[in-house]
Amino acid sequence: MTLDFAWLFDPLYQRWLLNGIGTTILLSLFGIVLMFVIGIVGAAFLHLNVRYLQTPTTIFVELFRNTPPLVQLFFLYFMLSDIGLTLTDPATGRSIPLFTGFTCVVLSLGLYNGAIAVEIIRSGLLAVPSQTVEGARALGYTRLQTFRHVELPIGLRLCIPPMASNIVSLIKTSSQAVLVAVADVMYGATQIMLETFRNLEVMLLIWVVYLMITGLAVLIVRRIATTVRIPGYGS
Amino acid sequence: MNAHVKIFLVGVLGVTLVLVALFVAVYGADSGAILRGVAGRTPLLLSGSADFSAFEGGFAANIVISLWAMALAAVAGTALGVGMISQSAVIRGPSVLVMNVLRNSPWLVVLYAMLYLLPFEVRIFGRFVEISPMIKATIGLALPVTANIAEVFRGGVGSVPTGQWESARALGYRRLQILRRVVVPQAIPIMTPNLMTTYAMLFIGSSLVVVTGTHDVLSVARTVIASDGDHVATAVYLYILYLFFLFCFPIAILTRWLEQRVRVRK
Repeated sequence: MTLDFAWLFDPLYQRWLLNGIGTTILLSLFGIVLMFVIGIVGAAFLHLNVRYLQTPTTIFVELFRNTPPLVQLFFLYFMLSDIGLTLTDPATGRSIPLFTGFTCVVLSLGLYNGAIAVEIIRSGLLAVPSQTVEGARALGYTRLQTFRHVELPIGLRLCIPPMASNIVSLIKTSSQAVLVAVADVMYGATQIMLETFRNLEVMLLIWVVYLMITGLAVLIVRRIATTVRIPGYGS
Repeated sequence: MNAHVKIFLVGVLGVTLVLVALFVAVYGADSGAILRGVAGRTPLLLSGSADFSAFEGGFAANIVISLWAMALAAVAGTALGVGMISQSAVIRGPSVLVMNVLRNSPWLVVLYAMLYLLPFEVRIFGRFVEISPMIKATIGLALPVTANIAEVFRGGVGSVPTGQWESARALGYRRLQILRRVVVPQAIPIMTPNLMTTYAMLFIGSSLVVVTGTHDVLSVARTVIASDGDHVATAVYLYILYLFFLFCFPIAILTRWLEQRVRVRK
């Protein structure tokens, strides 16, 4: 079996791949932001024993953690496009659908990995030394202030290692965007495969591209971890 | 166990209510008719045949593929895990590299790559054996999970106190003997919950095999939607969400219960 990578020098294919990589990174970034919002809010509800919100949060977490993100994506895609909400583009004045494939992918990524993030952040909050929390209470911080200024900052730092693998999982999962026709890097790859029939070579290249993106993400997380480190808390 | 039973009941009841509410919100007055239509497709979605006469597709295929993939990954993952804790750097280095590469690869890409990397048929003892999409899907799913199992293995072995190693060595055991006779038996209770989590993850990932052309539950769903019309799509996907939830949620609860028991015993 010989591998032929000659197609890689075609500027059109290069542009498809680069655009695709851009879309994949953008999808992942939006997904990560949504994941953190859901994770922090959910973990706060559970940790602070907010009445009437605990049970719904548990149900939300169990629903989205125990079902495939792909089925969630298809479900969102079909349900939300049926509702058909639209936005008005301020630049052109045209109305564009609010729930495009892109939005649905970001939502499904945020929901699935966000549900996992709730559990991760909660275990980080539980790992904050009780003396620190009691110290803050003794200094007159209210329950909410303790959470906001003491527990959350330390808890988030303590859950960096599992959070890093959750972020990698999110980037990996973003590849299923191709199945609702979002032009991410997988989409570019399938287009190139259709034109060149170099299926194996294209897939191997895409494999390497994803390894580079996830590797980069891990490096960035490590850099952040050393920058925000508080001596004495976590390794 | 009591707290876990409570979470289990709350989870099952709550999720059922949420999904029913979503269903009614989407379909309104048509709910009854749509529900009857989709319920009539249950045998097809579960077994891939219209009257439960054969179990060769649908949700049953997801279960079969996930079990085979787990078995493959358990064997390969243990081998990789042994490599990762090897004393010789020549074995350890490549093992860790392979683990990292497999762990960071998107499952979808691995599945596609296996689709084209594995031959259409292989010659064994002069006979041509066809490699069906199902076998390719199984191998494609097993590869990334191998990395997870190798990690679980390394973690489990690492959690056994080093004193066990030293005393076994003093008794004259060799390294692999110590692993097999002393360390791994003690690590199994610690590894079990993590292995179950890995299996649940693998089962959730088995929804991706639809891209290999296997008759899994999502490809059956596409057939159903194509024959019954686009308006049932939301209902069918809700139904599949519920199926996956009912399969994975008990595993998750059992895992947590086991985890707690292991922690208490320590």
